[in-house]
Amino acid sequence: MIRFLDISNHTLFWYYLASNLAYLVMLLVALKTSAAHQHRLESHRLAWIKESPLAPPITIIVPAHNEEASIRVAVRNLLELDYPELEFIVVNDGSQDRTLGEMREEFHLRPVRAVYVAELKSAPVRGLYRSSVDPRLLVVDKEPVGSKADAVNAGLNAATSPYVCIVDADSMLERDALLRIMVPILADPKRVVAVGGIIRVLNGSEIANGELRRARLPRKSIEVIQVIEYLRAFLIGREAWSQGNMLMIISGAFGVFRTDLVRAVGGYRPGTIGEDFDLVARLHKHLLEKRAEYCIHFVPDPMCWTEVPSDLKSLRRQRARWQKGLLDVLWLTRGMLFRPRYGRIGFFALPYLWLFEFAAPVIEILGIVTIGLAAVLGVLSRAFFLQFLLFGYAFATVISIGSVLQEEITYKRYNDWQDVVRLVSYCFLEHFPYRQMHMFWRLQGIWQYLRGDDVWGPLKRKGLQSVSVP
Amino acid sequence: MESIFEKLWRLGPAAFVLKAIVVAVAADALLLAFILLRRTYRKRYFAQRDARVFKWRQQWDDLLSARVPYSAWRANVFDRRIIETIALDGLEAGNPEECARILRFLRFSGLIEKRIFEARHFTGWRRLRALVALGRTRAPEGIPALAEALRGRNLEARLAALRGLGRTASPKAAEEILAWVGEKGLVVPALPLQSALIQCCAERPQLLLPYVQSATGPLREVLGRVLGEVATPSLGLDLLQFVGDDLDELRAAAARALAQSPSGLAFDVLSELARDPIWFVRLRAIVSLGKLSDRRALPALLRGLTDSNRLVRLRAAEALVASKTEMVPVFQQVVATGDRYGLHAYLTAVENANVLAKLEEELQSSTSLPADEKGRLQNVLRSGSLLAEERASLPGFSIAAARP
Repeated sequence: MIRFLDISNHTLFWYYLASNLAYLVMLLVALKTSAAHQHRLESHRLAWIKESPLAPPITIIVPAHNEEASIRVAVRNLLELDYPELEFIVVNDGSQDRTLGEMREEFHLRPVRAVYVAELKSAPVRGLYRSSVDPRLLVVDKEPVGSKADAVNAGLNAATSPYVCIVDADSMLERDALLRIMVPILADPKRVVAVGGIIRVLNGSEIANGELRRARLPRKSIEVIQVIEYLRAFLIGREAWSQGNMLMIISGAFGVFRTDLVRAVGGYRPGTIGEDFDLVARLHKHLLEKRAEYCIHFVPDPMCWTEVPSDLKSLRRQRARWQKGLLDVLWLTRGMLFRPRYGRIGFFALPYLWLFEFAAPVIEILGIVTIGLAAVLGVLSRAFFLQFLLFGYAFATVISIGSVLQEEITYKRYNDWQDVVRLVSYCFLEHFPYRQMHMFWRLQGIWQYLRGDDVWGPLKRKGLQSVSVP
Repeated sequence: MESIFEKLWRLGPAAFVLKAIVVAVAADALLLAFILLRRTYRKRYFAQRDARVFKWRQQWDDLLSARVPYSAWRANVFDRRIIETIALDGLEAGNPEECARILRFLRFSGLIEKRIFEARHFTGWRRLRALVALGRTRAPEGIPALAEALRGRNLEARLAALRGLGRTASPKAAEEILAWVGEKGLVVPALPLQSALIQCCAERPQLLLPYVQSATGPLREVLGRVLGEVATPSLGLDLLQFVGDDLDELRAAAARALAQSPSGLAFDVLSELARDPIWFVRLRAIVSLGKLSDRRALPALLRGLTDSNRLVRLRAAEALVASKTEMVPVFQQVVATGDRYGLHAYLTAVENANVLAKLEEELQSSTSLPADEKGRLQNVLRSGSLLAEERASLPGFSIAAARP
């Protein structure tokens, strides 16, 4: 027993150290990269892109399932985006509420027989509608399947542009988000096949007429902690991985992809839980197998604001689902692990995800239990343990504050002093008990996946209107 | 048995952990202090800047006319940056008269000279900033400095110089860019080069021809695409030499450029290119035929409607709908193709152009059609699909229907 505890404590120590060091390296890389990105942006004047005859057309696909609360604002916001040539496809995934009715009223939809070739697997389409107010808007009304993948595939079947941008219906893009996200593509269209933008937390912010008027920090603690998580994940994690061309996730809420490639890999995989991760993993696989020279980018400045869960129950469901999605895709891509053909994806990105994303909740929870046991059995140096705990706490706080600093020196969206003070305070507070709860939810996700429970539980949302100001 | 923590304690890393705690806590404190100090500094900086921007905007006319002497602000970096930014923004938004005035101001105040110096002598981001500013001025005297940067080793600087040269939109800049690509080949991503050349060659597309002829590989493709974008009727026969070129991109460029050529010359060539084995050459040819807006393009457009490529079908349908011919005869011929994908594409284009009601009305009031033919066409229009027996009886159905 004591031997087991010793091994477990060893593992936990080195694991924790490695994980934190990895994050520290990522923080340094991200700080350097985003500073360079800011400079680089100076030579990419967005107004020039807006005027360029060479800016490739983009189809924006918005899968919508029971989004009556936010669909009007969301689509109106999209129609206002700055970009030379856009096509909008909203896919009503058999909503049982008034999603289609809301759109019909707001955008004066009329039935059309637009070209729809079912190249990718998707449920039958009930009807196609085009807006009389803005002919760029096409609505695909399809049978319900309850999966985002199916809805996106229906949108891909109707898309006619060389690039597709997939946006969640409960999200809101900043007006110049597309101009910004297209910067890497316009700089090197042959190599750059997909680009992800940053997702920011909308809760608490002020919206007027479908546009974000003022970014504010949410009121609830649980929402503020998610703000820090998003900053850490995007401004540190994705920024750093993108530098090594090892970005494995482009958020399903906002990303641009080359249409032909998405079609070539069969679109979104029906029945998948983490469809965004799955698509990027398959793109890597497809391109590496073809030995193509390619790049999948993350750009931190095109912003997409989204509503995050504001109650524990919804958050638990979401995090369990993310963990299931992660495990699902990791399992499907296990053949890429340590195979020279898949280069750095097989040797670095995927092993990292297995070790520090998938295994984290298992190892951490196990660690808490074994340390407790060791303390009870008297084989734990309490002084050292407390020091180690203190170090871990201070170090993790450095990473969190680092992400806030990154936000401060680059994008600085929270202008109120009060917001910054709160944000920094939560960098100290998120480690207990939120972190432990989060680990437990992720563990639940793994358990649910192993049990075969892949139901996508509904999340409670207020809708974009509810956070608006007149 | 000792735990890992005991061992580490005994071996010494405990001291390391203690140090690490101190370092981590200090890092926390430093980061926090940095955030707070930076915020305070920036608050003051922006307040000061806003006040200066307001002051200089109020005196803008006096500045432009040098009633406020240059020496009053030129030595102050803070003021100089603000004034330069206002001037460059003004250049991008102003009318030609206003732009000429601002450019004169930039010249006489020495701001352009300064940027030229910085573009030549600075390195890194400072050089990049100078190149961008120089490009934004669109001043011809900046072209040599920008052209020098094209030959630099730093890719970012090369791209900034390229964009800057594109911004000047002058044939002189085009000559510099073409001379550089002729010498170095394609050493920057294609799109920025294409974009810059399109802007610079718009006035004199002839500049491109010798380079297109002599270039090879991907550079030839890029130059071909640029030629396709900027071609004018004046190029006329010069483009015909590329119609039979081995390079797909160049044939596509020729097809695109021929949309600007005198109709008589273009029809036969474009109809031929609309049968090209490469889909994007056919696409370009169909789009160009559509732009010519002539009855003679109808057969080729109808053929395009039954193309194996979806985009070619869609563009052919759009061109048919946009053509200045009566809709009913065209619709009749579309139905006669027996291609359900083609029909679908045509109806989509009709609906997108919002002329469905017009087609229905024209069909209803048509006197030239026999009653049964009119009824049949009305049925097809209403249902949006061909009748099964009709499809089966029509030649070419099986091929067309099998296409995605």
